[in-house]
Amino acid sequence: MSRIYSDIIGFGKQYLRSKVGAFFGFIFPILLILLFGAIFTAGGDQKVTLPVQNLDGGPYSLALIENMTLTGLVKIETIPAEENIDDYINEHSLPLALLIPSDFGMQVEQAIAANGTDMAFVTLYADMSQSTSGTAATAVEIAIVSMNFQISNAKPVITMGPLQSPGKGENFMDFFLPGVVGITVMTNSLFSMSSLCGEYRQRSYFKLLATTKLRKHEWLISKFVFYSVILLASLLTTFAVAKLAFDINATLTPLALIMIPAGAFVFVSMGMLLGVAVKDPESSVAIANAIGFPMMFLSGSFFPISSFPGFLQAVAAVMPLTYFNNGLRDTMVYDNSVSTLANLGVILVLGAVFFVLASKLMSWKER
Amino acid sequence: MVGGVVVEVSELRKEYPPDIKAVDGVSFSIKAGQIFSMLGPNGAGKTTTVEILEGLRSPTSGTARIFDVDVVKDYSPIRDKIGVLPQNFEPFDELKPWEALEYWAGLYDKKVSRKEINALLDVVSLSERMNSISKKLSGGEKKKLGIALSLVNDPELLFLDEPTTGLDPKARRDIWHMIHEISKKGTTVFLTTHYLDEAERLADDVAILHKGKIVAKGSPRELITRHGKMTVVVLSGAGHEALLEVRRRGIEATEEDGDVLVPVKDPSEMRAVFQKLSGIEIKVKDMYTRRQTLEDVFLGLIGSKMEEGVLKP
Repeated sequence: MSRIYSDIIGFGKQYLRSKVGAFFGFIFPILLILLFGAIFTAGGDQKVTLPVQNLDGGPYSLALIENMTLTGLVKIETIPAEENIDDYINEHSLPLALLIPSDFGMQVEQAIAANGTDMAFVTLYADMSQSTSGTAATAVEIAIVSMNFQISNAKPVITMGPLQSPGKGENFMDFFLPGVVGITVMTNSLFSMSSLCGEYRQRSYFKLLATTKLRKHEWLISKFVFYSVILLASLLTTFAVAKLAFDINATLTPLALIMIPAGAFVFVSMGMLLGVAVKDPESSVAIANAIGFPMMFLSGSFFPISSFPGFLQAVAAVMPLTYFNNGLRDTMVYDNSVSTLANLGVILVLGAVFFVLASKLMSWKER
Repeated sequence: MVGGVVVEVSELRKEYPPDIKAVDGVSFSIKAGQIFSMLGPNGAGKTTTVEILEGLRSPTSGTARIFDVDVVKDYSPIRDKIGVLPQNFEPFDELKPWEALEYWAGLYDKKVSRKEINALLDVVSLSERMNSISKKLSGGEKKKLGIALSLVNDPELLFLDEPTTGLDPKARRDIWHMIHEISKKGTTVFLTTHYLDEAERLADDVAILHKGKIVAKGSPRELITRHGKMTVVVLSGAGHEALLEVRRRGIEATEEDGDVLVPVKDPSEMRAVFQKLSGIEIKVKDMYTRRQTLEDVFLGLIGSKMEEGVLKP
């Protein structure tokens, strides 16, 4: 016990004095919260700019533009009629543009006369790699549906009621905070541990430690305890900042506090397991990045896993961070203790497997 | 312990595939309280040998016993009794020397008071730097801190693997003094080095290791007596022509950095050599005698000089 305590104190002093540790433990999650919070929750004009070239200029085309404006999703800008739209898009690097053809009014009249067997067309130019394209397409679709109703004198009979947030999540930050905590727990434990293993091997600290009475599992327990304490402090700080800055509704439940040491356990053990293969800090950074970055993006920290293609969802299902993020969201946003405990169980089982493998495979000695 | 023997090594071998023999049948023993030096160039097998004794590598064959315990079978009874300064030791960057000592003592289940820490820092002359962050210490101070760490558990046997490599002459002399003081308190010291003067000055017993084998062992004086002659007449700046002329007169001589060296065993041989030399017309800057050193023995045994651990033709 005293050896573990000594290692926690000795290592803790080094960690807290190194600026890198303090940055990733405390400043990094706060930066993420403030940055993403400012992007997604601050007021400001969030409309998508949609340049429109109206070659028709008649009442139907003007009505279409007005209906698009009424959606509140787009801000219309005008492309001069004398410009060639393809050249204009290229010259101005436009990700979006809408072309209303010169015979649009005539096409509408013909469609009305043909009782819907013919149709009028507009053309949307959209770079589908950009998220704004979906918004613009939605605005155009809504405007077209509205115009169809107006022209056919029909009345809508079904509509959606006011938008309700699931659980306690009323704004983006309620959903984002657990993801940020997940990333913080992973980067601090996994990246730090694998990098630490590289440094300890390169500087022969493992050999030096092997000559003392400290054993490998004691060293690992010491790191788990240390990172649990640091990450709990990080969670409290990040939560306080999110509460103050964005008035989040997510709550700090007892299960959320239990999830932190469980996360430290699984990622410290995983980091040490990666450390088995590393010889120096450089190779440890490469290996940790190769594992950590895909996990960061595929585990639902930033994007919902349900939006991924099937094979990526299968990959996400084997990543410990997925269960950590899900568990934390389940308890902080949905108050769903049963689901949280299920995710916690998966994390603890994975952590135990990594811990045993790391203790067995890691050698402090020369082979 | 068998008859005061602390370390007993017999036919120790360490081989790496396909056919590298890092240690090739090494045998030696170290008595309690001795400073034992393993001397040899880089790659001779010194660190491999010492790391087997520290429990950090497994031998391919042979036996090594410390305090009469087999290092392969069970190292735990030994661990408490040894201190280790590894080659190229680097302290923990962000810890102050006193914190590093407190931390290291804790890893041996030992609680050290500030008084004990101060005493230890005094031994290695680091008291004035006790509150400096370790990464700001000089190379010599870092080595001193490493020695202090290796002493924190009051070891009976201390392994110092090239403790003065890369240090300036003053720092080297400081560490030599420190090793002497540690030895005077009864601690057995196993010192590996490639500095011949270090081994000669510090060691009670020396083993010269070359290509994994011990080529000579004994006290420095015994080695000089056995493998060399006691005195060397130095014809400073005499040059290669003079060497040939000296040899033509039947005098055994070697050349080193433009000097001609004539080894002599005793005063009668020295008189004979001087008589022969007086009949030769050679230009010298200076002529003097000096005691033969381990360096001369090494040159004679290995056939090369050694500079910073590298053999020179």
